[in-house]
Amino acid sequence: MEQEKQEKSEDEKLLERVDEAKILKEDLEKLTKEKDEYLDGWRRTKADFINYKKEELKRLEEVAKFGSEEVIKDLISVLDSFELAISTLEKSDAKLEKGIYMIKIQLEDVLRRRGLRKIKVNKNDKFDPNFHEAVGSVEGDGHSGAIAEEIETGYMLYDKVLRPTRVRLFK
Amino acid sequence: MAKILGIDLGTTNSAVAAVSGGEPAILENAEGARTTPSIVAVSRSGERLAGLLAKRQAITNPQDTISSVKRLIGRKFSDEEVQRDKKTLPYELRGGSDGGVEIKMGDRWYKPEEISAMVLAKLKADAEAKLGEKVEEAVITVPAYFNDSQRQATKNAGEIAGFKVRRILNEPTAAALAYGMNREKNEQIVVYDFGGGTFDISVLEVGDDTVEVKATGGDTHLGGDDFDKRVTEYVVAEYKKQEGIDISRDPLALQRLKEAVERAKHELSTALETEVNLPYISSDAAGPKHLLIKITRAKLESLAQDYIDESIKLTKETVKSAGFKLEDIDEILLVGGQTRMPAIQDAVKKLFNKEPHRGINPDEVVAVGAAVQAGIFQGDVKDVLLLDVTPLSLGIETLGGIFTKLIEKNTTIPTAKAQVFSTAADSQTSVEVHILQGEREMASDNKTLARFILDGIPPSPRGMPQVEVTFDIDANGILNVKAVDKATNKSQSVHIEATTSLSKEEVEKLKSEAAQYAAEDKEKKELVEARNKAENLVYTAEKAIRDAGDKVSAEIKENVGTKIEAVKAALKGNDKENTEKSVNELAEELQKIGSSLYNKGNEQ
Repeated sequence: MEQEKQEKSEDEKLLERVDEAKILKEDLEKLTKEKDEYLDGWRRTKADFINYKKEELKRLEEVAKFGSEEVIKDLISVLDSFELAISTLEKSDAKLEKGIYMIKIQLEDVLRRRGLRKIKVNKNDKFDPNFHEAVGSVEGDGHSGAIAEEIETGYMLYDKVLRPTRVRLFK
Repeated sequence: MAKILGIDLGTTNSAVAAVSGGEPAILENAEGARTTPSIVAVSRSGERLAGLLAKRQAITNPQDTISSVKRLIGRKFSDEEVQRDKKTLPYELRGGSDGGVEIKMGDRWYKPEEISAMVLAKLKADAEAKLGEKVEEAVITVPAYFNDSQRQATKNAGEIAGFKVRRILNEPTAAALAYGMNREKNEQIVVYDFGGGTFDISVLEVGDDTVEVKATGGDTHLGGDDFDKRVTEYVVAEYKKQEGIDISRDPLALQRLKEAVERAKHELSTALETEVNLPYISSDAAGPKHLLIKITRAKLESLAQDYIDESIKLTKETVKSAGFKLEDIDEILLVGGQTRMPAIQDAVKKLFNKEPHRGINPDEVVAVGAAVQAGIFQGDVKDVLLLDVTPLSLGIETLGGIFTKLIEKNTTIPTAKAQVFSTAADSQTSVEVHILQGEREMASDNKTLARFILDGIPPSPRGMPQVEVTFDIDANGILNVKAVDKATNKSQSVHIEATTSLSKEEVEKLKSEAAQYAAEDKEKKELVEARNKAENLVYTAEKAIRDAGDKVSAEIKENVGTKIEAVKAALKGNDKENTEKSVNELAEELQKIGSSLYNKGNEQ
């Protein structure tokens, strides 16, 4: 009898150990899962941060490049008026001081150094709304829908169209 | 997780936003603009265009350029609105077999949702390029007055464009979401939306995470463009009076004028007067003619007054039809670019006797709100990892009793920061690290957290030893401060537990005190800094005289000596200007020692 009892308790002990092991295993699984989650979260945060830094750097470059965009846009209308003035004067009898041209070139140089380029347009070029804006059409001997004449100069700041060239198209 | 877009599909312009890193942000289109014209076209060469590119060819290709399709979507061809709009729209319309509207573009007939889908497809492609990933889902906004058929058609448009449409959201609800008003309880909100081509007024009721539209009103043919038209007409008439020339007949001159007027209108939101300045606008027999007309804010307001009055009248009616009194309204939100006009803001404020909300860009607020809703679906808003911030700045006391901050307030923790300090006197063998918390400039005005002494620094001239002090706050707000003498590697450290234990009220009190004494504190700090600089220079000067020995004439040495005494005398007082002046004089005199030594060197 005694022995049997002892054996039973041995069994019980074994069972307890098994239960304990089960609990420990569950704990381990839970902790491993938690650890994986945390590690993943940490990696993600770190990656987010590295990506943020990269994006920020890119954004700063953009700001440096296009930060003066508004001012340049405003200056383009000054340049427009300048061109209108010169072409009007050229048509009249008034003699044009060479200095006037030099001032205009000066202004253009300043803007060119900031990345401003004219969009070049020729008669009979294909109309491309990426660079041109149609403001009217005229009768003529060119292809229908092709560019007939330039009305207002278009400008690009690096690879961005600040203002499309305004053109008239052949009917 | 893939992003979900928030799209404000407007009558004239559309905008797209998405939540990244927990914040909604507008996505620029391929042309670099924050809004995209809601225009589609088949060009004369047969290409399909959308957005800005379609707009650029609209004048020469009016019958195949489709704009304002939002006015047609989900409507019956026989609808009164459709019949009215049909007269002003430059493209061809007809009734479809199902009674809906069909639009001719190129050589085909399209349903309005197919046209809208082309705008949405352009927005989708540009957003994907901007985000650098595929996007499959979207939240699209519609006016609150849209009926089931209009909503269903908008949803179909989204699906044709390749989106899974997660929700069709009311525009005013989106605005309320953008301002975070969904969290409020039992509030009545008026959304006053004055866009380019439409005026919408909505009354919302928010309660228990639901937003209910109580009433809608407005005028679908009143907008900021009408204001521009009025001002342009005014300038044309004024110019005719001045010069006798009608520039409205010259398309290019008119185009220049329209752009200048729009600029002027924007400027008058902040300035009281501006000029429309267009040299060489036209010419007559006498030569070139210029246009220079001044417009005051008052003039603009008088030109637009009846539009503003009309909008206020409609607002009153809508609030009434919602069953509310004006004083029941808790919040007013301003949406649409035209609400930047101060006269509109004033009129709305006067009507409700309350300051309207206008913190978010009124052109973008609807798209931002749609992105907030998208973010909720996306799960971006759920943030399991909550990071705390340090409520107040942490730092140490330095020479002259100045509080030198190492970790600024509102820094997200955990974080660490290190800085190298030195000794203030020759042969100083120990430094005291006095750790403080607060926002005031002087150490004595802040709260002491701990002090410790780092000793065993080898005797050396002042400024030579390098003591690195490191502040490290862990995620629980426990601060660990460590000081290391870099020469000996001897270190000393302290743990401080209660850096974030201050109550909200205490933190606020300390911050407001700092603001209150800011000017006074700054003065004190500057005086100490001037004194520190003076003492430093006296030390350098005295050392220079000693080192120079016979190499410099007695006269120079005597002059420097006099100036040193002058600085010392100034230091006895507490006059910052006086101290700085004597320091500058000494610095000048001191240069003579240098140049004298240099010249000697050259002679040899």
